[in-house]
Amino acid sequence: MRGPLLAAAGVAMGGAGGPLARTIRAKLTAALQPTHLEVRDDSPRHGGPPGAETHFGVLVVSGLFAGLPLLQRHRLVHEALRAELAGPLHALQVVARTPEQWQSDPKTPPAPPCLGGSKR
Amino acid sequence: ERLVREHPVVVFMKGSPAQPLCGFSNAVVQILRLHGVEDYRAHDVLQDPDLRQGIKNYSNWPTIPQVYLNGEFVGGCDILLQMHQNGDLVEELKKLGIRSALLDAEKDQEKK
Repeated sequence: MRGPLLAAAGVAMGGAGGPLARTIRAKLTAALQPTHLEVRDDSPRHGGPPGAETHFGVLVVSGLFAGLPLLQRHRLVHEALRAELAGPLHALQVVARTPEQWQSDPKTPPAPPCLGGSKR
Repeated sequence: ERLVREHPVVVFMKGSPAQPLCGFSNAVVQILRLHGVEDYRAHDVLQDPDLRQGIKNYSNWPTIPQVYLNGEFVGGCDILLQMHQNGDLVEELKKLGIRSALLDAEKDQEKK
């Protein structure tokens, strides 16, 4: 059961995102110099309390992706977040586009619904 | 290594194709199903912690699900979804000698 204390903490961190969200944003900005960056905490959709910061989705738009196949682009994102992925970051959705691709298609696919995971 | 070469299409996931236990793993199962690919090897990493870590080390990829085509790591759910949307998946399946069901669906539409 989520106590009022956790809920309050979640609300307090809601604004700019929690500490992990800020770390993710900072690392991706430094590594990939994105022209557009969105970092989304999906943890509440996977059964965590607000502010749990275990499941994230990121949208990275960067010229550095030009000419790279999807796998390489995602590996670059993973590389930037290597420490987080080894630790608290349990799941990471990645959309990696070049500025041209983003301009012609500024939509991202919705996150799949959680189906319980290893808690079952 | 042996596992990824067992079959042209191998998936490491949470749960099974009949009962996925994770939204991302389910997305992979659904996409394969859309293409008419029902015959593939699926490994449930929740059953085997060594496999769960081992496959991440093997591909140097931090998350599950993982999709391998012809022994080669292709990506996770995000990448498979994009390949599905941009037509690359149909092409990759063709290279494996697998005819995507979506091609037949298109053909039917053209006839109409």
